[in-house]
Amino acid sequence: MNKLRGKSIVLLSFVFLYGCAQTNILDKVGLTTLVGYDIGAEEKIATTAVIREVNPEFQSNVEVLTTENDTSKGNRMDANRKLSKKIMVGQMRVILFGEDVAKDNLRYYIDTNLENASVSNGIYMAVVEGKAAPLLKYEYQNIEDIGQHIFRLIEQNVKQEYMISATLHQIAHDYYSIGKDLAMPIIKRDDELVELSGVALFKGGKMVSTLPAKDSFYVKIVRDTFKVGLYETVLEKEDIPSKFLQKPANKITVAFDAIHSNREMELVDIATPEFDLNIKIKSRVLEVFPDINQGDPKSVAGLEKAIEKNLTKEISRVIAHSQEVESDIFGFGEKYRSTVRHSKLTKDKWHEMYKNMKVNVNVDFVILRDGVFE
Amino acid sequence: MAKPIQLSPKEMINAYLLFFVVHGAQIGVGIQGFQRIIYQDARHDAWISVLLAGIATHIVTFCMIKTLEIYGSNDLYGIQINIFGKWIGNFLNAMYILYCFVAFFSVLRNYIEVIQAWIFPSIGTWFLSATLLIIIIYAFTGGLRVIVGVSFFSIILSLWIFPMLAFPMKYSTAASLLPILENDFRSILKGAHSMTFTIIGFEILNIIYPFVKDKKNVRKPVHLALLATTFIYLSVMMVSITYYSEGKLLKTIWATLTLFSFISFPFMERFEFVAVCFWMLIILPNLCFYLWAAYRGAIRLVNISGTTFVWLFSFFAFIGTILIQTRTQINTINTVFGQVAFYVVFVYPILLWLIAQLKKNFTAKKVKNNEQA
Repeated sequence: MNKLRGKSIVLLSFVFLYGCAQTNILDKVGLTTLVGYDIGAEEKIATTAVIREVNPEFQSNVEVLTTENDTSKGNRMDANRKLSKKIMVGQMRVILFGEDVAKDNLRYYIDTNLENASVSNGIYMAVVEGKAAPLLKYEYQNIEDIGQHIFRLIEQNVKQEYMISATLHQIAHDYYSIGKDLAMPIIKRDDELVELSGVALFKGGKMVSTLPAKDSFYVKIVRDTFKVGLYETVLEKEDIPSKFLQKPANKITVAFDAIHSNREMELVDIATPEFDLNIKIKSRVLEVFPDINQGDPKSVAGLEKAIEKNLTKEISRVIAHSQEVESDIFGFGEKYRSTVRHSKLTKDKWHEMYKNMKVNVNVDFVILRDGVFE
Repeated sequence: MAKPIQLSPKEMINAYLLFFVVHGAQIGVGIQGFQRIIYQDARHDAWISVLLAGIATHIVTFCMIKTLEIYGSNDLYGIQINIFGKWIGNFLNAMYILYCFVAFFSVLRNYIEVIQAWIFPSIGTWFLSATLLIIIIYAFTGGLRVIVGVSFFSIILSLWIFPMLAFPMKYSTAASLLPILENDFRSILKGAHSMTFTIIGFEILNIIYPFVKDKKNVRKPVHLALLATTFIYLSVMMVSITYYSEGKLLKTIWATLTLFSFISFPFMERFEFVAVCFWMLIILPNLCFYLWAAYRGAIRLVNISGTTFVWLFSFFAFIGTILIQTRTQINTINTVFGQVAFYVVFVYPILLWLIAQLKKNFTAKKVKNNEQA
């Protein structure tokens, strides 16, 4: 019995010793929810951090701090010197890059965040038009916590599949992949609001071009399978036979809801290289302006054809643009690597080949139904 | 023939429990980060390496059981003395004890490193190592049946971690596995060789065999356990190759834990923190069995009581964990130990079986000759 008591005292003392580990009490820490990186005026990195200080008695306080240092950890120390609370990064949700940083190289930022165990792999990344600091520092009338706001903005759009998803994992995956380049959403301030304004294309770790937000649908549809997503396109007059139209018009606007899309890539010629890109989209037409008789199977088929033609054109345009800037955000190289044995592909080699790549886009567009009113 | 180990039924275990013993002893710290080591050699064919390593364990275990059956009820230590005589036998026994110690130490140190890197960077190594050692000492003093119980619960209670692999599969691209067999066979074999550190543990069979009640039923649970281990390693490897891209996998130190790092539940933001802590339960059987195996050898060498042995052993392990501090040192130990373990676990048992078989035939002939004369 005595022996047992001795042991339990030893064990108990360890339980208490365990309390000696560094504690992080919510009231005493500042939670970094968002970090924006810019190139500093004097030092290498200017960091703007949105820090939420939880206060049990009053409303939580949001601080936006800009510091300059040579490393991101150094910036954290600098920020610590200006705050009464210890800064923690475990709740970080978004990382923003100023345009100058993105055009320089993201490698350092990807690595430093991967290294840190307390940064989750699920945080979102985006590029800011211009500099990150002014976007974050602006005093918005209706936005209380800019960090939380941008996170919700991106999350909501990604979940709805309006915008491509760029989490740290995906970015790092594409960055370290031989046959794929990374892409990120672009955000900008639009008066009192923050807006997702486009997609940034990267070559390696450098941002080389942008696409307007409208094109993110095409990027998404070629990049991966698509579940729900609203999209609107304008059909040219020559795309659609006028007999289907109830009223003559120059342009027809169609809004549809892609219920499901599926893409298949096939390498048909290794030397060029040439790919067949087959995309199947099942959708629900939501709006057509001016009206088309959707009760008539013929005019539905005509509409399908017209949309197919239109999508093929648009997708080819987006791919051609990405080829021009040598940024393979669609992962054609990945397909090439996995099909061609002993290709010894490297990123540079692929970029060379990507320029001259040929893609045959085939879109198969099926209208499942329209609304409840014909 | 060597004197068989005499045991009372109370000290023995049922054969089916060997499933938990072998499986529990195999899975430990290696699985947290074995991917990149195999990937370095075999690239996207790494999963074939895992499969090959799994097959190798079956072959080696087959030989082990054959050897043990020749001697009826004896362990590796007894067999070595019988085959090589007192001096060389005892020397080999001492070497094997040292092997167990290094294995024990490397599991312990690696786990502490993981805790420090992921969760508590500021906690002292001495504190974590002392805490773990006390638990192990506690389990050890309970005897073999308690250790087997630990391994049983360790497996049952950690079953739920396995389905978590389904989450990262959301981001998986099957194309990463293609083209299959692009890398030459040599590099795939090299990858299989690098699996050693991760897949060892089943050599505990050599020591625990005399303690099994129904020895004729040993084969099935042991091979099932090896199969289960191979299956788990294979699934983890497949998911990792498809989830990470080439360069990223090579740079991720604990790929399995990073795999978990984006899983989050409404009630639990970061899943891998729980996984890291929970891993203690998974490595407990590892540690206990190596300690116990070393003890079985030590009592043949010197007259020592269990308590004295376990305190001495823990003391050295404790000193070791304090001395070895940096990642580079730990990596060196892992690599060197992996290389040594390859010979101890994969080459030596086959040799031993051949020698034992030869010796058996030889003595049988001799006896026959004697009878005739």
